[in-house]
Amino acid sequence: MEQRLRDEARALLEQGKVDYIVGFEPGSLKFTITPLITRDKEEVERLVINPFMVNNLANFLTELKGRVGIVAKGCDSRSIVSLIQDNKVAREDVVILGIPCPGIIDLNKVERLISKDRDELGDIIREGDKVVITADGKRSEFPITEVLYDNCLGCELPTPQEYDILLGEPTLPVTDNSTSQAKIEQLKGMSPQPRWEFWNNELSRCIRCYACRNVCPACFCQRCFVEETEPQWLMPVPRWQDNLMFQVIRNIHVAGRCTDCGECERACPVNIPLRSLTKEMYDIVSELFHFKAGMDKDAAPLMTHYEQEEAEDFIR
Amino acid sequence: MGLINNSKKVNKKDIGKLLSQWSEEFAVLVPSKENGVAMMARWDGTDTSFLDWYRNTVIPPKAHFLPPMEEMFRFQKDKGSYQLEQPASDGQKQLIFAIRPCDANALAILDKVFEDAYEDPYYLSRRKNKLLVGLGCTHPYDSCFCTSLGSSPSDAANVDLMLTDIGDEFLIEGVTDAGKQLIAQTSGLEEATEAEDARAKEVKEASYHKVTRRIDTGDIGSKLLSCFEDEDYWEKVAAKCISCGICTLLCPTCYCFDISDELVKQQGTRFRCWDSCAFPIYTKMPMENPREEKWRRVRQKVCHKYEFYPMNFGIIACTGCGRCIRLCPVNWDITQTLNSLPAKT
Amino acid sequence: MAITDISHRRRFLAQGNVYLPHIAVIEKIIEETPGVRTLHFNFKDEKLREEFAFESGQFGEFSVFGIGEAPFCISSSPTRRDHLEFTVQRAGKVTNALHRLGVGAEIGFRGPYGNSFPLDQLQGKNLVFVGGGIGLAPLRSLIWNVIDNREQYQNIDIIYGARSPADLCFGYDLDAWDRDKTVNMVITVDRGDEGWTGRVGLVPHVLEQVAPATDNAVAIVCGPPIMIRFTFPALAKLGFTPEQMLTTLEKRMKCGIGKCGRCNIGNLYVCRDGPIFTYAQIKNFISSEY
Repeated sequence: MEQRLRDEARALLEQGKVDYIVGFEPGSLKFTITPLITRDKEEVERLVINPFMVNNLANFLTELKGRVGIVAKGCDSRSIVSLIQDNKVAREDVVILGIPCPGIIDLNKVERLISKDRDELGDIIREGDKVVITADGKRSEFPITEVLYDNCLGCELPTPQEYDILLGEPTLPVTDNSTSQAKIEQLKGMSPQPRWEFWNNELSRCIRCYACRNVCPACFCQRCFVEETEPQWLMPVPRWQDNLMFQVIRNIHVAGRCTDCGECERACPVNIPLRSLTKEMYDIVSELFHFKAGMDKDAAPLMTHYEQEEAEDFIR
Repeated sequence: MGLINNSKKVNKKDIGKLLSQWSEEFAVLVPSKENGVAMMARWDGTDTSFLDWYRNTVIPPKAHFLPPMEEMFRFQKDKGSYQLEQPASDGQKQLIFAIRPCDANALAILDKVFEDAYEDPYYLSRRKNKLLVGLGCTHPYDSCFCTSLGSSPSDAANVDLMLTDIGDEFLIEGVTDAGKQLIAQTSGLEEATEAEDARAKEVKEASYHKVTRRIDTGDIGSKLLSCFEDEDYWEKVAAKCISCGICTLLCPTCYCFDISDELVKQQGTRFRCWDSCAFPIYTKMPMENPREEKWRRVRQKVCHKYEFYPMNFGIIACTGCGRCIRLCPVNWDITQTLNSLPAKT
Repeated sequence: MAITDISHRRRFLAQGNVYLPHIAVIEKIIEETPGVRTLHFNFKDEKLREEFAFESGQFGEFSVFGIGEAPFCISSSPTRRDHLEFTVQRAGKVTNALHRLGVGAEIGFRGPYGNSFPLDQLQGKNLVFVGGGIGLAPLRSLIWNVIDNREQYQNIDIIYGARSPADLCFGYDLDAWDRDKTVNMVITVDRGDEGWTGRVGLVPHVLEQVAPATDNAVAIVCGPPIMIRFTFPALAKLGFTPEQMLTTLEKRMKCGIGKCGRCNIGNLYVCRDGPIFTYAQIKNFISSEY
């Protein structure tokens, strides 16, 4: 599958069908990948497909000028479709190299299972519905569901529906919804006061790095609301109150466009459980509007579209 | 760093007692984890489980010298008039336990900026009140590269005392007068044996070689200067960066800050808080932004650390802690960039 | 590597804290153009009022408490010390707040910061001032300084322009310099209006027309970045060397004292090593960042 990807990418560049290829290449740390953004057909030989392809590459589409051949897992392809719905990207400007995704391995979960840091591990190999981890010569086996990301365990579209080239056979999701929703259910089970204190505490660690916003394909505003000074919506100071408001407002802004790719939570350097907010928003949108982002290229974007026959009578 | 004679030792099981003793004079900060995120925090008086994990923190100790947010002063509005009030300085002495060489060396880099010309009262008063107990690293990350920057996992250059992990015990060496004095007035420390001194030397030697990532800093300033205007090169370097602030905010040598005011009814505060040259609006002026494009900001970050700061202060503003590499959401790696600068033309 | 030694300027610290502003009171407001006003102020503290000193080209960090702080050059001359002046163009949060203040309002002031025009290197020389729009503000401090010590300098040419007649700042100064026989005052606008009978033309073009002599001359330039970028080549064409061209640069600033990191051009900080630079300094180093 990797070689096919490289061949297709090379062909796209050689034939002038795209200006850029965006995919994954091995990172500089163990079990890490990093985005490869290139115009050079020799560099596409570095493209890889592996269980650690975390980034949502759709994020780069709103920045690159030109036609892009882009590697996309299921959730990423939904982000691309969502951008097309928002008119940020033209369908004819992307060549989607779809990758049926069996789930991405969360290195934090691996580290907790083995009680070792990632650079101390020997190898992490997926074997079907199991994962084999070697460390210090010892071999341990776990069900794959114990090491996949929470959002992967709740995956609704592992194989891209919108693609130009599909690299591999469509795959079925490996789900474990109760694990996927565990943190959220726990929060929902809390009464308001402890839940409020939970978020005060978590958001006190926030340093306002904005990684959550910057990894998100749905956050493509040229000037984010936090950067406005007239009026000053939020203080740029990392107090938990301002940090909380940042998350609340950001979630409202991406409602209807978030595809639960999980990048925000993964990117957070201080382990704030951001997906507990974004996935809940995702579910609220699904429940209220029967809408899931990026499923239908021809559908109108949820929040910016008005129909004569609105469900709510206050707006008719 | 050669061994200093009269080194002492303490058994790891007795660390709690040692810290309790030190707590009588100092507010003790130790590595702590909150939801898996390691940072230096106030010791709770009993928990010494941090001895079980031997890697560096996520949030660097600079947070205790240049905090993520800090009140500079308060003001009271009374009709049209303002009364300014400085925060009372917290005179309490603090002891930071188990600070790593890279983070201690980083403080020396920050010192130069905050002492230069106008003294920064906030940073300097925090700096004055701290005693640093260093801990040598025995398990560097694959992202660490301190050995390329004139340092090592056992470098005691900027700590008051240095601890070396020799198995069940820590060897303790006094470095500064303040450190030696603390050792002298601490009870319950035994003399280290010659064998233990030798063991510590072995450990330090071994840890040096465990750092596998290397950069060539020879002539790095002029290499960067010669490719400074190469827009295509920097565009390629910056392509995958997402302009978040992680590399800079969590860098122990980065010090950029923002100043902002808040007024609620009649009470106001002027804050200073962490800022980053990676943010798009960092240099934005009403009419133009000299670093509108991402590649200019990435170039600024690399060149400030490896070219501009050394031009002003004589040393590279990086201690090789590796946080920027292992915490970057896209694994942008400064060592890769520095090791592949275009040859001088 | 020696840093600019400005330790002698520590003498105006409030309570020993360089970040703590002094309180100053607005005494007079002149609306120069719809978006530009000049504020005259004096320190509340009597002693500071007496002792405060600064040099032409230096700037202060001005606070509207609760809104924020911003850097502005001190546009009055050190030779006229009954009050101090600064000129503000409306652009963002702090400048809009300054435009809402009335006489009697209290503001904060920290400074003076930065380097200053090197008077010792200008004495005995022919001076060519080239200003655009609000860029006249820092030049104005130097111009009055020079005029008040007229015998120490040779010829004075002032070439000043704005987008339109309504955008001309410091009209009262322009009149005074126009009447001054020892000064050659040239005023231009990019675009005239019905009442305008004066020169029309962009400042760099007018500069080429005026063609001041380069012998024993120094050019001092200040204006919007686009004007500066065209003026330097125009001066070069006339024969000015990069060492003969001075300018004062503007960058987004917060601390004003070289610590917060944001105003750098290479290893130089505009607040600490500038804002006055020669073109030689900037040109030789990082031309793409100013």
